[in-house]
Amino acid sequence: MSRISPVTGHYVTFEVDGLEYKVFYLENGTGQPLVCQHTAGCHNHQWRGLLEDEEIASRYRIIAYDLPRHGKSDPPENTEWWKEEYRLTADHYCAFIVALCDALDLRDPIFMGCSFGGNVALQLALRHPDRFGGILAVEGADHSPGFYLDWWQHPHANAAQVCASGVWDLMAPQSPEADRWKTWFYYTQGSEAFKGDLYFYSVDHDLRGRLGEIDTDRCPLVMLTGEYDYLTTPADSARTAAAIGNCTFIEMKDIGHFPMSENYPLFRRYLLQALQAVERRKPVPV
Amino acid sequence: MTAPTPVLSAQEWADAFAEANNTDPEIQAHGKHFTCSYLLDAGEHSFVIDVVSGKVVHVAVDPGPLEAPYQFAIRASAETWRGFGRPVPEPMFHGIWSASFRRDMRLEGDLLVLMQNLRCITRQIELLRTVGSPV
Repeated sequence: MSRISPVTGHYVTFEVDGLEYKVFYLENGTGQPLVCQHTAGCHNHQWRGLLEDEEIASRYRIIAYDLPRHGKSDPPENTEWWKEEYRLTADHYCAFIVALCDALDLRDPIFMGCSFGGNVALQLALRHPDRFGGILAVEGADHSPGFYLDWWQHPHANAAQVCASGVWDLMAPQSPEADRWKTWFYYTQGSEAFKGDLYFYSVDHDLRGRLGEIDTDRCPLVMLTGEYDYLTTPADSARTAAAIGNCTFIEMKDIGHFPMSENYPLFRRYLLQALQAVERRKPVPV
Repeated sequence: MTAPTPVLSAQEWADAFAEANNTDPEIQAHGKHFTCSYLLDAGEHSFVIDVVSGKVVHVAVDPGPLEAPYQFAIRASAETWRGFGRPVPEPMFHGIWSASFRRDMRLEGDLLVLMQNLRCITRQIELLRTVGSPV
């Protein structure tokens, strides 16, 4: 028996910092936009469970895009990108997300990003609090060094497998095996962008000493981190949230660094708490 | 909290580990080129594991100084390896990356060989969840 998903795909073309991008995004639902950023070296299928979540889609317009150089979003259309090393910066990453929201004419969107998306969520909370109706930083922290490694692109190893198996241990053993393997499979597809993404994740992103400048009165901020995440541990996120002030932190048990992809049914329980916290603009008890 | 698996003697563990590897569907499906030798150093015991085309062909138990060459080493305290030997490991005892970043595990030697075989090594180390800790 066949079944057609309500999720639809679109392309939108716009410029950021002089670069022209043709960006692919999946969407479903109606209501306040919920803009979702996948993790480094990956693509929007990580949000497959959320995109088909009928309850959330009844209240939010869920938009999961592919960052340029990932999934179905090509590298820039108007440059010879193959002659340069790709290194994502905080400035360009933030400019891209705001430009995407402008291109889609999104009003009061909630931004949710995971891992390097969780880190850019904190950057957006600092730089553009008035552009967003709320921000969810999943697996994010003020600083996350140690993953900008040459192994991701070493020509003497199978880069697809190094990237995919290199992030395998970021997932919890309790997460369903089939979903962990889907996440592994996505990671075999993104090795050329992974290292450049991690330049942002581990090098350019550093908000140590600046967290107090984030004004959560202008934009509510919720952080969520899984206990099996060895890159950004719950302690790292708790420390970050405490330094920001009036920032809700939710520790997620029995799950890892790719919660929406490795175990969506468990993640959605925490996500509903986080969305409720944004709606109420006040912390929820953990 | 899950109970730790029973501790085998070092030789019994080596035999059980080889058997688990050589009958593991994933490693046998993807291990055609999985060939390397590495030291598993668990403090109280050490093992040099030789893998050829996905099969563990020999495990040297507590080898002498010059008896068993290897390409890379995975070293950790006995306590850390015992964490790996649980059916559902606690956080940070669930893989060589997590234990290297957050516990006392060290990855040494020719890491390129480790990376070249990472998919199958990852699965092989997870066999400890059923075989049990080497110490």
